[in-house]
Amino acid sequence: MTSLGSFMEKEVLPASPKIDMGETKIAPLRKKLFDQGMCQIPFPEEYGGLGLPFSVYANAVELLGTADASIALSVEIHNAVSEGLNRFANEAQKKKYLPNLLSGKTLASFTLTEPASGSDAGTMATTAEKKGKEYSIRGSKAFITNAGDADLYMVFAKTKNGPSCFMVESPNPGMTFGADLKKLGMKGSRTSEVVFSDCRVPEENLVGEEGKGADYAKEILHGARIIVAALNVGIAQIAYDKSVAYARTRRAFGKSIGEFQLIREKVADMKTEINAGRLMYFYASALKESGHEFSSEASQAKVFCTEMSLRVCDAAIQIQGGYGYTTDELHRHWRDARLLTIGEGTSEVLRMLIARRELARSQ
Amino acid sequence: MKIAVCVKHAVDEAELKVDSSGNPLLAGAASKMSTFDKNAVEEALRLKAAHAGDVTIITVGPTEAKKSMKEALAMGADKGVLVTADPMSIDTRGTAELLAAVIKKGGPYDVVLCSEGSSDVYSGLVPPMLGELLGLPYFGYVRKVEVPGQSARVERALEDSIDVLEAPLPFVASVVSEINEPRYPTLIQIMQAGKKPMEEISPDVLLSGSKPAPTLFTSMKAQAMARKKVVFEGAPEETARKLVDALSGEGVLPR
Repeated sequence: MTSLGSFMEKEVLPASPKIDMGETKIAPLRKKLFDQGMCQIPFPEEYGGLGLPFSVYANAVELLGTADASIALSVEIHNAVSEGLNRFANEAQKKKYLPNLLSGKTLASFTLTEPASGSDAGTMATTAEKKGKEYSIRGSKAFITNAGDADLYMVFAKTKNGPSCFMVESPNPGMTFGADLKKLGMKGSRTSEVVFSDCRVPEENLVGEEGKGADYAKEILHGARIIVAALNVGIAQIAYDKSVAYARTRRAFGKSIGEFQLIREKVADMKTEINAGRLMYFYASALKESGHEFSSEASQAKVFCTEMSLRVCDAAIQIQGGYGYTTDELHRHWRDARLLTIGEGTSEVLRMLIARRELARSQ
Repeated sequence: MKIAVCVKHAVDEAELKVDSSGNPLLAGAASKMSTFDKNAVEEALRLKAAHAGDVTIITVGPTEAKKSMKEALAMGADKGVLVTADPMSIDTRGTAELLAAVIKKGGPYDVVLCSEGSSDVYSGLVPPMLGELLGLPYFGYVRKVEVPGQSARVERALEDSIDVLEAPLPFVASVVSEINEPRYPTLIQIMQAGKKPMEEISPDVLLSGSKPAPTLFTSMKAQAMARKKVVFEGAPEETARKLVDALSGEGVLPR
């Protein structure tokens, strides 16, 4: 982790302001991270993975989140597809896709959300109709990370018995992309609509069983939520580091502002919350690694860490005053963090899931 | 091409703290591979890539030095030899003698690389001693190495000139940091490094009848650099003139 950390500090962190300003594309850096092994950590060695615990992967994403959140998001989505294939694909599909995904030769995209369907995946309007030995996918997907950049799309579409999961390789004449969305933050990762018009995929690209897609998506997202939690701990950490450095040197009324009790309270609360979040993602990872039910804890970690990083980034801006509000280098962390109480399950939906799970559990 | 790289497991100077009287707190201090040794390892790996062969990492140090050894192996070196010795009980001469003994025992090597100085003590004494003890040509301050055939061609970076020197193989060279940009080992290389051969040797096996070190380490102090904190005020042209005059007066700029 030390080596990966210094790679991120020296190679990724300095590029991050330029990525935010749209002056640097993330693809070359993402490629270097893939070469370092960022996509291999929790996956089996037989497909080119490292077979390391999930918590090691989560910790690596925290480090990457500190260096640049938008690359971390892009990598996390890519790995979520690998996780889905590793869990639900057949041997032939794993052999075909996983080695290239784990080495980073191909980039993946998780294609679930629609303009009018989010966490209620059952209401999706995209369909996949069986025609001979092919499926024809029709519909559109919204807010898709890595859209346009990715070589491989894990697409969820309704077959006659419910949502199913398909691998769509790009380019495919039936798959087109909308314009890149203008986002508040996360400027490095591409996000756009993906449109399917009679997009033909061979029947062997169906992952798992027809009609089980919503279950697979749910399972993939449980793990991904732990990673999003870790990513937010990383964002909070860098915002905290910058504001503490500022509090040490900025002087007011003849002393450093770090000597005022009101600032000291902020510093203490920020650090306490960051470590609480860190423990939550490690705890959820430990449950997942040991085969225990972890969906509620994963959701708890994501709700807490995403909301915590907004609080920490907000306090960091407050400590840095006018500089905090006017300097991209400082407020981009808040803008990056702002996505993640929405993406991969909103805080509201996750609280619903946590409560449902906990009430069922205590019976 | 057989290449040996001498690596030091050094105190991490960035993490080092000093007490109120300026003594470094060495007990329990963080340690790492000496910064510029990574450049020496990198250069060895580039020579290996160009000429085929293998790279041996040699370290004299405590058992924790395996950490640096493992890092060099993760970067791509093939094997490691650790001479277990308490760094406080041997001096640069003793270190050079042990390194030379390992090189003679495992050799002959075509190329022996070091860095210009360790990032903690930076005496820069070991590499030339090593050249002398091995009876081999020695190049210091090397910023470029080429081995076109059976001889080496190096560029030596001096203060106001760059010398181009040649010598037949084998040779000893110490490199400066500008020679290359060390690679980052990938996660899979880090995991595989533990499986590469790593030999541990006791100093007594290499050198019979150890003599007392001719130099004695007495103390090491942090030096506080007082800042002059001079402020020039006035119109830009005037302050610029004053600044230039002051810097010339200090001998920083030529008069």
